[in-house]
Amino acid sequence: MVNEEALAWVIRTRDPGFDDWEAFTIWLEGDPARALAYDALMAQDADLDAIIPADPVTMPLAANDAAPPPRRVAWRWAAGGAVAAALVATVSIGMMNRADIYSVTTRPGETRRIALDDGTMIDLNGDTRLRLDRNDMRFAALDRGEAAFTVRHDASDPFRVNVGDAVFEDAGTVFNIVHTAKATRIGVSEGKVIYNPEAEAIALPAGRALADDAQGLRVMNVAPAAVASWREGRLVYSNAAIDDISQDISRSLGIPVTATASAGAMRFTGTIRLDRNPARFFSGAAPLMGLSAVSRDGVWVLKPASSREGNAPQD
Amino acid sequence: MATGLSAIFMTHRAALLRFLRARGAGDDAEDLLQDMWMKLEAKDLGPVADPLPYLYRMANNLMLDRYRSSTRRERREQDWAGGAGGVMADPTDDVPVDDRLILTQQLGEARSVLRALGPRVELVFRRFRIEGVGQKVIADELGVSLTTVEKDLQKAYRAMIALKQKMDTE
Repeated sequence: MVNEEALAWVIRTRDPGFDDWEAFTIWLEGDPARALAYDALMAQDADLDAIIPADPVTMPLAANDAAPPPRRVAWRWAAGGAVAAALVATVSIGMMNRADIYSVTTRPGETRRIALDDGTMIDLNGDTRLRLDRNDMRFAALDRGEAAFTVRHDASDPFRVNVGDAVFEDAGTVFNIVHTAKATRIGVSEGKVIYNPEAEAIALPAGRALADDAQGLRVMNVAPAAVASWREGRLVYSNAAIDDISQDISRSLGIPVTATASAGAMRFTGTIRLDRNPARFFSGAAPLMGLSAVSRDGVWVLKPASSREGNAPQD
Repeated sequence: MATGLSAIFMTHRAALLRFLRARGAGDDAEDLLQDMWMKLEAKDLGPVADPLPYLYRMANNLMLDRYRSSTRRERREQDWAGGAGGVMADPTDDVPVDDRLILTQQLGEARSVLRALGPRVELVFRRFRIEGVGQKVIADELGVSLTTVEKDLQKAYRAMIALKQKMDTE
C-alpha cells in the first residue's frame, strides 16, 4: 500500500535536522511519480494529527518517558468473608503506600491496550480502571469496568488479577473480566484460570465462565470466541440478563444506558454488533433483544418492546 | 531581508529551481521561486542558522501547500459526485453522528495500534511525530542506532497511515 521509498523520504525530510536536499532532489528526478507519492504521504502524515493521542506514554519500566506520576488510588476492599479476601487484604496493605502502583483509566467509550514488557497484553474497555505495579509485572487489579487479558504464562510466576475480594490466577491464558458494583464475571477463551487459588480454587478452562452476583457464585459455559468479543466490536451473549448487557453497551459505546426493571430482568441470547452511532445502534440492537430504546436527556432507556403486551414501562 | 540569506538564495538559485522542478512544479517552478523571493523580502528575517536547508524547506513547503489545496478542491468535487451516487444508502444515515464519541473511539484505536507496536516504537514515534525531536537525538537518548530509530518510525508510520485509511473508508 505504502510506497516504502517515499515514506523513508517523508520521515527523513520531516526531521528537523535534515539537510541532504541534493540527495532528495536526485531521488525525485528518478521518476516523476515519486514527487506525487511523497506529496500524498506528507498529506497523510499531516492528517495523522487528528488521531494521534497526545497523552504521554504510560509504561512500566520506562524510566525516561513522560509517564504521569502514578495516581494513588485509595485501596478499598469490599467486605467479604472469604478466606481469599483475608489473604488478599493482607497483601494489599503491604502494597498500599507503594509508589510503583499506578492506575490506568479509560473514559466511557474509550479503549486502550497496555503491553507489559513480559509480553502480556491487556485490553481495557471503556470506563475501566486497572492498577498495575511497576515492580511486579505479574500483578493487576481491576477496580471497575472490563479488561481482556492475554497473558504470557509462566508456571513459576503466575499472573494474578485482583478483582474486588477475588483473585484470578492464570494458567496460560486469554480471559476477560467484567467488574461492576453488582457483579464480577469472567470468561476464559484460552488456557485456564484459577479462581481464588487459596480458597475455592475453582479451575476455569477455556469455554468456561464464572459469575459472582446477586444470585451467588455460578460457573457456566461460554463460547471461547465470545470472550472479549468487544475488542472486535461485537457483544456475544448466551442467556444474559439485559441488566448486564446494558452495562456492557454503556461501557463500550460511552453512553449512559439503563434498563427498566421489567426489561432488566429479561434475558438475551445472540450477537449484538456495536455501532458508534447510538441511534443507529439501538435501532438495530433493541428489537433484536425484544426491547425498545428511547433517549431521554442523553440517557438511553431500554424497555420491553411495546408489542410485548401488558408490561408498562416502569421508569 | 538578511543579506546572508539573499546571497545564499542567489548562489543556489539554480539548485532550488532544479529542486522545484523535481518536486513536480513543472512550468510553475520559476514563478514559485519568485514567490519565495517575495516572501523572503517581506519577512525580513534575521540571520538563519542553516540558510540553504532553510530555503529548501521553504520550497518544499510551498509544494506541499500546492498539493493540499489541489486535493482539497478535488475532494470537494468528489464529495459532490459521491453524494449523488448514494454510496451509503443506510436509511438511518440522516441521524446526526456524535462526533465527539467518534473522535474518542478513533483516539482509542490509534492508541491501541501504537501500543501494539511495542513500547520502544511507540516512544520513538511520539518523540519524533508529536514532540518534533530529531532522529539522531532520539537514537542517543535510547542508546540505539540511527537505523533502528528509522525502522521504528517506518513501522509506526505504516501502521498509523493504514489505520487512518481504514477510518476514512469506514
